[in-house]
Amino acid sequence: MSLKSFKRALWVYHLNTGSCNGCDIEILAVLTPRYDVERFGIKLVGSPRHADVLLATGPVARSMEESVRRIYAQTPDPKVVMVVGNCGTEGDVFHEAYSLVGPIDQIIPVDVYVPGCPPRPEAIIHGVVMAWVKLEKAAKQPAHRANSLAGGEVA
Amino acid sequence: MTFILESGYSFWNPLVWIILFLVMMVLIYFFRRQGQEKYKKDTEQAQIFLCGAEVPAPGERHIRVGNIYWGFFETLKEYYNQILKLHTGIINDYVAWFVAVTAITAVILLMAGLGK
Repeated sequence: MSLKSFKRALWVYHLNTGSCNGCDIEILAVLTPRYDVERFGIKLVGSPRHADVLLATGPVARSMEESVRRIYAQTPDPKVVMVVGNCGTEGDVFHEAYSLVGPIDQIIPVDVYVPGCPPRPEAIIHGVVMAWVKLEKAAKQPAHRANSLAGGEVA
Repeated sequence: MTFILESGYSFWNPLVWIILFLVMMVLIYFFRRQGQEKYKKDTEQAQIFLCGAEVPAPGERHIRVGNIYWGFFETLKEYYNQILKLHTGIINDYVAWFVAVTAITAVILLMAGLGK
């Protein structure tokens, strides 16, 4: 695998749509010295306007729906959406709960799924790499996504 | 012709400042060029990020400077409520207050003067 066209550090915006924080803790673990993805230029940023990857956790609470759409719209192109955890992937134990409108791919198009409750840091890193490869393709074809519900890949 | 203005302890030269300004402008231009070029103008990508919340209209976005006195207003709320009722905006009321306060002050001064 060669990464050529996307010649910069991968910046990730973490979006919590109503997670129990289990996945969020694992995402933090990815940043700790044990895994330390920042050495590859992968880092969390504070605004989707600076991000290349939108990393979403949680099953999307009803009150978060509008925010999720807005944050997705505010992320510059080319962008990749990555879901971490079972809740965001298919709802898990909250499936069809009255207070939820998810899973996330019902709201915005998702490119990479990382299932698990919570997924291990290695799985998250593998998902980020898959997201990076998708960004490579997107960087070559800027208009390849027209806000359609594109099919995602499972990490 | 020299542009150097010396004070004995330091000097001031406009050319140095102009050169510094130009260097700063070049640096700003350089860093600005590193930014994201592919964002879509006139879309939400150019909107202010407010943690995903809807951004208020420009006129409603401003936080009044009086908000720093919120604690005072909250503590003295009862006092302000009473005082605000007196501020009717009618000049006759203000003149009446002026006359009344002047009369009371005059009476107090008169009584104090008579007591001596």
